Amino acid sequence: MNRFVLLAAPAALLFAGSAFAQVMTPAEYVMTAGASDLFERESAKLVLETTYNPEVKMFATMMLTAHAQSTAEVKAAAMKSRVPAAAPMLTPLQTEMIAELTAVNGPDRDGVYIAQQKAAHGGALSVQQAYAMDGTAPALKSAASDIVPVVQHHIALLMKM
Amino acid sequence: MTVYQAAIAALYFGAASAAFAQSAPSTDASPPPLAARTMTMPAAAAPDMQAVLDQIAALGAKPIETLTPVKARLQPSAADGAKAVMRMKKMSTAPDPTVATMDIPYGADPMQFARIYKPANAPSNGPRPVIVYYHGGGWVIADVNTYDAAPRLLSKQLNAIVVSVEYRHAPEAKFPAQHDDAFAAYRWVLQNAAAWGGDPTKIALAGESAGGNLAVATAIYARDNNLTKPVHILSVYPIANSSMSLPSRMDSANAKPLNAAMLKWFGYYYTKTTADPMDPRLNLVGADLRGLPPTTIINAQIDPLRSDGETLAVAMKAAGDKVEQRTFPGVTHEFFGMGTVVRGAYDAEMYAIGRLNTAFSK
Repeated sequence: MNRFVLLAAPAALLFAGSAFAQVMTPAEYVMTAGASDLFERESAKLVLETTYNPEVKMFATMMLTAHAQSTAEVKAAAMKSRVPAAAPMLTPLQTEMIAELTAVNGPDRDGVYIAQQKAAHGGALSVQQAYAMDGTAPALKSAASDIVPVVQHHIALLMKM
Repeated sequence: MTVYQAAIAALYFGAASAAFAQSAPSTDASPPPLAARTMTMPAAAAPDMQAVLDQIAALGAKPIETLTPVKARLQPSAADGAKAVMRMKKMSTAPDPTVATMDIPYGADPMQFARIYKPANAPSNGPRPVIVYYHGGGWVIADVNTYDAAPRLLSKQLNAIVVSVEYRHAPEAKFPAQHDDAFAAYRWVLQNAAAWGGDPTKIALAGESAGGNLAVATAIYARDNNLTKPVHILSVYPIANSSMSLPSRMDSANAKPLNAAMLKWFGYYYTKTTADPMDPRLNLVGADLRGLPPTTIINAQIDPLRSDGETLAVAMKAAGDKVEQRTFPGVTHEFFGMGTVVRGAYDAEMYAIGRLNTAFSK
């Protein structure tokens, strides 16, 4: 890892002529966005099994649709950009968060869900904004630009929860 | 291989150090070159603290100092490690529902909002004391969500309104954007505390790490602008001293979850110029510290920022302020707020709550 960083950083500086290395590659973006969508759908399903909170129910239902859509959009853009899109996998942190959600029931699960959603959407926005600004594969960059306002809308809804 | 790496590093420094001492304002900006590592081993953590560190590693934490900001923001936090330990102990990780929260903007930028914590059921005889709390994360990573434990606990235990301030992050917004936001939020709280059921004459400033710096810097700002003076400052392992040769920078250079390389990484992204680190808002030990409110500084033994808090306490005492500083043994940076699973954190939390309670009782 250290070796990679030391080698990659100066190469990018010398040859790209800017301080922006291609740090999030198209494949990394596709993988990160896919994992984040998968986490969204899995956690929405879990909270919908137990919640009686109408706000949570509405939000989780919206997440199921919205994050299926963004996965489809990124997948189509990846094909256009000829970036291989492997089946998305949860990160170890996302796996732990799903375990924490599963471990509690009732209003506790609502509480964990809302807290996780607030945290996860901050990270998702950061990724989409970064790729929309500095991404190198045009179709994926355009998909990221389309997804940014959707994530921002989710954050606005979460601010009221 | 080592010689080869060194040669490449030297080439990098030679070619780029002058031009790239500070990062571009992009979350995709490459990390700064890694300096040669010291081999110093940090002190051993207490077993309950180590259990949290082990979980952070098990969650796949990569070294922040090798990442771009956008990737660093996706890494598991120390709070995530503590929650994993809680789950394994069959404890609920749900936020304490006896404290209600609401998010309210205080500025036009989406990051300029605050999360207001208020005891949901506890009765109150008149207006509640108010704590303005600033989260940590080196001004680059983490947010009010990451730092939920301490403000929630302080609200509950002190029957207080806690205003946890979000602020613009670097490198998108560089120093002094975070300080400007902290100051603006303090003014906003002074104007609105009463409407939330708070007592605008009983306001304390608190914060952790980068936020521990903001708490002290905001008290200085309040003094200089004739604003209502906070009744107390709680500064938990603040960034306060820009010297890179402090004892803790050496003995805890390789500590977790914060190491010396990460401090350099944060600085690379949050500063605009090479002069910024010596600005008194960052290098608090060099600021005019006279006439500040009574202050509590909490430090962790195994933390490259330990000497910051210790030297800040000395500087504030020399300026005539009333300061108590304690370094808790066997714990690391980010331990505050882990009181449900780390004994040292519980002790530090009780100490902080006692100090704030005294300040609010006057």
